[in-house]
Amino acid sequence: MTAVRLLLAKDLRVLRRSPALLAALVLYPLLVALLVGLVVRFASDQPRVAFVDLDGLPQALNIAGERFDVETVIEEVNDKAELVPMSEEEAERQLETGEVTAAIVVPRGFASKLRGMVESPVLVLRTGRGGLASRFELQTEALVFRLNRLLQEAYIEANLKYVTLLVEGGEADFLGEEFDVVGLEEAGRLLEQLRGRTDDPEALGEIEELATFVREARLALEQTDETLRATANPIELRTDREAGRTWLLGAQLQAYALALTLSFVCVLLAAGAIAAERDENVVGRLVRGLVRLRELVTAKVLLGATIALALGLVLAIVFGVAAEIAGVDGGQPWSRLPLLALGLFLAGAAFGAFGVFLGVLARESRAAVLVAFLVTLPLALIGVVPSESVAAAGWISIVFPFVHAVDFFESALFALDPWREVGVASLWLLGLAAAFATAARMGVRRFLT
Amino acid sequence: MPGVTALLSARGIARSFGRHPALEPTTLDVRGGEVLGLVGPNGAGKSTLVSILAGALAPDAGSVVLGEPRPRVGWVPQRPAQYGRLTPRENLELFARLEGVPDPAKAAARLVEIVELPDDGRLTSELSLGNQQRLNLGVALLGDPNVLLLDEPTSSLDPRQRRRFWELARAVRDRGGAVVFVTQNLEELQRFADRVVVLLDGRVVFDASAEEYARSPEADVFA
Repeated sequence: MTAVRLLLAKDLRVLRRSPALLAALVLYPLLVALLVGLVVRFASDQPRVAFVDLDGLPQALNIAGERFDVETVIEEVNDKAELVPMSEEEAERQLETGEVTAAIVVPRGFASKLRGMVESPVLVLRTGRGGLASRFELQTEALVFRLNRLLQEAYIEANLKYVTLLVEGGEADFLGEEFDVVGLEEAGRLLEQLRGRTDDPEALGEIEELATFVREARLALEQTDETLRATANPIELRTDREAGRTWLLGAQLQAYALALTLSFVCVLLAAGAIAAERDENVVGRLVRGLVRLRELVTAKVLLGATIALALGLVLAIVFGVAAEIAGVDGGQPWSRLPLLALGLFLAGAAFGAFGVFLGVLARESRAAVLVAFLVTLPLALIGVVPSESVAAAGWISIVFPFVHAVDFFESALFALDPWREVGVASLWLLGLAAAFATAARMGVRRFLT
Repeated sequence: MPGVTALLSARGIARSFGRHPALEPTTLDVRGGEVLGLVGPNGAGKSTLVSILAGALAPDAGSVVLGEPRPRVGWVPQRPAQYGRLTPRENLELFARLEGVPDPAKAAARLVEIVELPDDGRLTSELSLGNQQRLNLGVALLGDPNVLLLDEPTSSLDPRQRRRFWELARAVRDRGGAVVFVTQNLEELQRFADRVVVLLDGRVVFDASAEEYARSPEADVFA
């Protein structure tokens, strides 16, 4: 191990003499991580959507006795999109040019159908072919769902008024017609009065049947409120917003930023470092009994691990301090640092071994760094694609260290019970490090020809 | 020199690169107290032979046998083999540590003086090719070798540096060691070689004393 330690110390000394290179290697992937974060964060955020009102919606709509302020309703539901009122022609044009992602059209007769409660009115959604169109379809479905929820509440309230009217009686109007309703309570009293006015057993029997019906109907209708609400919303979702990390400090972004940075730094450095040994013409001198090829590969793998450990801890501490300053909760960045350190070391070794393998294939250091860059960028981006969405991304990612590093970092920093995930990710990282190092050891013989 | 024990022996060593044979099966003894000049046209297999003798390249066939006691072999490859982003002193110290030299810092300081290397903190990559070649020699001398294998060692040295270089090489021979050097410089061959081996297309076609070489037709071929 002395040879490994000496070569590692030499590489670290050489690296220290190239601060600009090191800074570029750190800042570039951090920038990429930030951009990926921004894309993920804002891809679905506030797309511009045309709002075409062909029906001339009034400022307020009276539906089922409830007054709806149209603008307030739109404000309430459009937090997922910026609704811009415009004419149908303008919406058509902007949809073609991509200035709007979609257009929501309120057709003629929409308000009257809504008021009539006889036929469901139709909202029309027109989308373009942009990448956000399908996403916005989902958002519009959510928007219509929320509108329906609001209207449903109004309809339930209106229906419950009719139920109350049936129970208590009183004056009412329906479709413009005014009428008096006796109500079940009054009907019960009237039946009691009728019972005292006759001795006819047949009439008394019929009065008793009617009185029973009135009692049961009252009991049933008095339960209608809760039942109606429950059947209208069999499952209700309550969203509790609690204090948590902002997206910038979010667990996932932090884990991705760490993994992305380390993947670039370690793969490029390890690839460049092993190929540089050949460029410097020293491999022949080293293998003359001074260093075994296995030790040469191990030194470069450990270079990746050492850099990952140092750099990763610095980044984690910066994130932690930023979280403290911003006063956000939701993670355990300090108590989990030792566990994170283990993950950083393992991830660095796996990235380093992969880099050594690429460096051995490329042989020349500039080519090695270029190959490492060209290979690492798509692999890291594939690792960001959810495997549930694109299965192929999952199959490719699993044989590279990136996703396992992300899993480790996420679990280590933020999971309440991280041990299982950390264990699985550790085994993957160890296995990949061993596999790539073995492949590199077999290939490094090429350096001696 | 019959009767003198070989410090280093090649026994039927051969090596190919791809389908191209660089060195046909070759047998050669390197004996103590001699300076052996290795000549031949480009591609004759001289560097391959020296690299195999140095242990930097594995032969496809045959073996290299080390004498008893085991000789300390120093190797100066044709192209400098050291780290450009380290200073000469750092290079010497690193290789001294890898060689297991007892006091690496002291050994490095000694060789900086012996091979007259600049010691002003400049990186090796910033030095002239001549200075890099001297460092190349310095690294080879770290283990106090009694066999010195040199592959065109003086090609980038000025006359003064060349003289100094040969003083150091001859000192190895004078201590009972051996020097094997590859050269294309016939004047250097005539001045310093005790024995000459000619390689042609990977085969040894001449192996005799320098005097015999001077009288032989092979000397005319490479003149």
